[in-house]
Parts: sequence; C-alpha cells; structure tokens
Amino acid sequence: MTNVIKVVRLQLLNRTTYVYMPLLILAGALLLALLVFALIPTSEAKYGFGAAGAPLWSFLVVGVQALTLTFPFSQALSITRRDFHLGTLLTAALTSGMLAAAFAAIGVIERATHGWGMNGYVTLPSLGGDAPGTAFLAYFVIAMLFFVSGYFCAAINKRWGALALIAALVGLTLVLAVVILLVFRAGVAGEVEAWLVAQGALGLALWGLALLAVLGLGSLAVIRRMVP
Amino acid sequence: MNTVVEVNHLTKRYGATLALDDVGLALEKDVIYGLLGRNGAGKTTLMSMITAQAFPTSGAVKVYGEEPYENSRVLRRTCFVRENQKYPDGVKVGHALAMARLFFAAWDQSLADRLVADFQLPLHKPVRRLSRGQLSAVGVTIGMAARAEITFFDEPYLGLDAAARQTFYDRLLEDYADHPRTIVLSSHLIDEVASLLERIVVLDGGRVVMDESADDARGRAVNVVGASSAVEAFAAGREVIHTERLGRVASVTVLGRLEGEERARLAARGLEVAPVSLQQLIVRITEPGRSARPDEGRSRG
Amino acid sequence: MNQGSGGRTIDDTRPLFLQIAERIEDSIVDGSLPEDAQAPSTNELAAFYRLNPATAAKGVNLLVDKGILAKQRGIGMFVAPGARRALLAERRAAFAASYVEPLVVEAEKLGLDETALTALLREHFAGRKQR
Repeated sequence: MTNVIKVVRLQLLNRTTYVYMPLLILAGALLLALLVFALIPTSEAKYGFGAAGAPLWSFLVVGVQALTLTFPFSQALSITRRDFHLGTLLTAALTSGMLAAAFAAIGVIERATHGWGMNGYVTLPSLGGDAPGTAFLAYFVIAMLFFVSGYFCAAINKRWGALALIAALVGLTLVLAVVILLVFRAGVAGEVEAWLVAQGALGLALWGLALLAVLGLGSLAVIRRMVP
Repeated sequence: MNTVVEVNHLTKRYGATLALDDVGLALEKDVIYGLLGRNGAGKTTLMSMITAQAFPTSGAVKVYGEEPYENSRVLRRTCFVRENQKYPDGVKVGHALAMARLFFAAWDQSLADRLVADFQLPLHKPVRRLSRGQLSAVGVTIGMAARAEITFFDEPYLGLDAAARQTFYDRLLEDYADHPRTIVLSSHLIDEVASLLERIVVLDGGRVVMDESADDARGRAVNVVGASSAVEAFAAGREVIHTERLGRVASVTVLGRLEGEERARLAARGLEVAPVSLQQLIVRITEPGRSARPDEGRSRG
Repeated sequence: MNQGSGGRTIDDTRPLFLQIAERIEDSIVDGSLPEDAQAPSTNELAAFYRLNPATAAKGVNLLVDKGILAKQRGIGMFVAPGARRALLAERRAAFAASYVEPLVVEAEKLGLDETALTALLREHFAGRKQR
C-alpha cells in the first residue's frame, strides 16, 4: 500500500465528514424537494435542482477541513506534503464519485418514474439528466471543484494568513468582473453564450477537469512550503 | 562514529527574531540526546527543521546524508510528535494510534498496548476531549511505539504527573535497551531526565552553548561559598558563571574541577566547596544576560 | 536526582559512569560480589539505577580497563581474581586523603588537638569491642 493510499485511509478516518454528511444532506434535500413537489398543485414539469446542489456546499467545508485538520497530523506521521496532497485529492475524487453516482442514479430513477410520479425533477435535463454518464461526470467535476476550492483557500489561509486569502478572493472576483465587463463592452456576449451552450454539459465538464488540474497544481505549490 | 543527522550553519529568522543562530551539530546513531534549554531557546524549531516540518532561513540539514525535505525514504525513518500536536477533529485515540501504525513500518502494537494500559488512555474518546496529560500520553505512545530510527520527543511530559513521567522514562529506557535508536528528548526538567541522557545539547537564544557527553558536563563546575573577600580572591582569573551575595558572604559558581589538595587549601581558608548538578550548571549557563559560553557552539564548516 | 526503591541515589554532580563503577567496586569490597562471580549485566545495571545503558557500559568498561572485571566472551563480565585485594589497596592509599584529612580539619574546627582526637579514637575502638 503506497503512502498515497494510506493518506486516503487517514482522511477517511473521518467518515462522517466525507461520506455520511454529504449523503445525508442530499437525502434530506431530496425529501424536501419531493415534499414541495407534492404540495404544488400543478401537473406541469417542476424543477428543483437546489436539492442536488445542497451537498456541494458541504463539500466546500470538507475541502477546508481535509487540510486544516489532517495536515498537521500527517506531518507527525512523517508523510511528505506531496503524498498528503495526492492522497487528499484522491479522497476527494472517491467521495465526489460517490455523490456523483448518487446524483446520476437519482436522474435515472426520475426519468423512469416520470418525476417521482409527480413530474417533479431535481436533476436538470440540460445537466445531462437524460444521459447518466454525462450527469455523473458533470456532478463529479462540480463536486471536485467545490472541494478543491475549499482546500486551496484553506491552504492559502494557513500559509499566508486570512488577509492574503481575502486579497486573493477579492482579486479573483475583480478579474472575473473585468473579464465579464470587457465581454459586454466588446459586444461579444451573444457569441460567448452561444459557445458555452454549444459546449454542452459534457464539454463544460471537460473544461472543468482542466480547471481542476490547474487548481490541483496551484494548491500543491502552496502546500509545498506550508508549516503544520 | 555513525552520524545520522548533520546540521550546518542553521539559521531561522522570524521577522526580527533569530530563533536559530548559526547552529551546527551532529547526531550519532543509537544515542539518547537531551536537547535542553529554556522556553523559546529554539528546541522545537530545531527539531522541526530536522524533520522538514519547518524551513530554515539559511543553512543545511542532512538526515542519513540526504536532505529531508519531501524525502519519504528518509522521513519515514524519523518521528516527531510536537508538544502541541494537532489531531484530526473528532478522531478517537484508538484510531489515531491505528493511523500511526499504518505509517511507521517498525510499529510495535504490543508496546503501544502496554503504554495505553500504563497511561490509562481511553481508546474510544475523541482526542480533542483529552486532558493535557492524556494528550501528552498519546504523543508519547506514538513516539515510542513507532520505533523510528530517529525519534524526537518534544517536551513529552507536559501535563503528566510525576508517576506518569517516571513510567515514561522507565519504558523509554527499557525499550531503548532492547531496541537502540537515536532519541532526542527536549526538556526543561533537566533533573528528571539527566540520568537517561548520554549526550546533551544546550540551546540558549538559538545558539548551541553546550554539546558534549552528559558525564563530561557533570562536575564541570563547582560552587564556592565563604567570606566575600576570600571568594573573590579565589574567583579571580576563573570563569565565573554565577555570583550571589548575602551580607558579607558570597557564593560563586565557576567552571573547572577542584582536586583534593586544592579543596583542602580552600577549606583552610574557610571556603566551602559544593558540587554543581547538571541542572544547576545548565540553568546558570542559560541565565539571561550571560554572554560568555563554556564551549562555543561549533559550526561545521 | 534519581531515587530508586531501597534508597539508592545517584547524584548528578559527578559523572554517572564513575558512580556506577564505584558501586560495583563497593560490592566487591564488602564481599557481596565475590571474585569469579558474574557481575550484573549492563542492561541490569541500567534498569536498576534507571540509567542510560551506554553510561552503565562505560562504567563497566572502566572496571575492565582497571582489571577489576574480566570479560568472558559469550557469557558476560566476571569479577577478576585479585580484584578485592587490588581495590582494598587502592582505597587504603586514598584513605588518608578521603577520611583522615577531613577528620583532622573538622576536629581542628571543634578545638580538638592530636591528643584529644587520639583519645576519642581509643574510646571508640573500646566501645566497638564491647558490642
């Protein structure tokens, strides 16, 4: 068993955080959505994808905790930062996969039961509700992005402090705002939207993977000189 | 001589503070070291640098001849559980030990079980709800059962009562006798650990002020008490590390040994000679305001 | 200070290995460790006095170098023949400096001259014979 796999086991010591909580949140949100669907007196298609999104926010927190709570102990166990990083991302992938599988399964069930018999859906068709494979990948990428974002932010905070983190986030927001502004200024908003739609769920998911790779490398760079 | 850790010109600066100042030393295989000094002398910083948990401002660390940074091959032969070690939130004592077992190839579960029993550690309790002493006991258990070839104990006794500390020292000696390894024990309770140590390294203000065998350090100084004038006459030309006065009586601690005839001569002059223990010697040498050192910290060029 | 049960104290003001060697020598001199008997092993000494085994080993080696202990390969350390005689001779030689000198100095402080001190000694021996 390589050290990377051992780190997965180390992280999964806290099974509640990684497994039970997200699943519980998903189940709870789903039940809530079903209740709402039952109460709405319409036979038209109803969509409530907030339920599917609920566990994603918990993943942000999980990402933060994966670093803050486990990194210091990993140092005491003489684990290199690289092994810790890879093991933690692998853990993220496993748990994201678990959530994504649950989500894709819900999608299949919903299509099969015509929206739980109430024409109510928590999975969006445009998010691959009609293609479980794409749904799985899309949800997987989004969950990973939430995890790695939390992880990355926690790393910046630990290494350089809260001020640095705020500065980074503010800076990022500004950059995004500027980009959006420029897009509208140049009058290409229409083309950008068309391109995005053309990518489709699968295309966007692949772009998401690319973004994940960048974030993964970025967070490793921060961790490499981090002190427990 | 088998050197397992080499530190050269190690310096660590935190802003305006110099936590380590041109530290140089070599640790040998299978020797128990005492890393001694006051709080804030740089003991934890030094141990962090050796295990690549922290990074020097300048200087070099070599463990088994290699740089320890991100070096799994070398790091897995070391173990450093800090004094204020953080554990994953909510993790239970038993699980924390199980994880340590996963990562240390030489882990001895029977030793771990024995220590858990000795310290009465509640395996099912979350670590965050342990008392300070129990927390130390967990760190000690991991540090000892890991059987790492280079093991660091960072003030491991904090919160432990006298009986528990004695248990720790006893188990440590027992296990060391059966499984020799390099052990670095940082402590400011010098009295208690003195008989365990083969060599001592004393840090003061980030500098090495002593690096020698514990036995050489014992008997390095003497205390001479008597009438001030006689004491001052005696102390002239000697390296004085501490002076006290009470009325017309003075007590001076000087470096150097006094043999039989010299003692007799001093006795004739009404001066009393008393021995100085290791703890007293180190306390005197690391007193604030002291500038002279009995042994300049060597930096291997 | 390191106190074990039974009141054995090792003090921290002199090299420990010397103190270990002295303890072994003491037991040879008082007969509790006879010649040709096996001396306690390094680990046994370390455990008993709660010392670093390397220190105990250093003390034992000192005695080997002095010819007080002899190593029998594969078995252990044994008290060398003639060890007790050698130690007694050594201690008698040091007796004057270690005991007589301080005795006289202390007696002087108390105002006891040679005659008074000798009288005290005679008294003491007489008393011992009676016991």
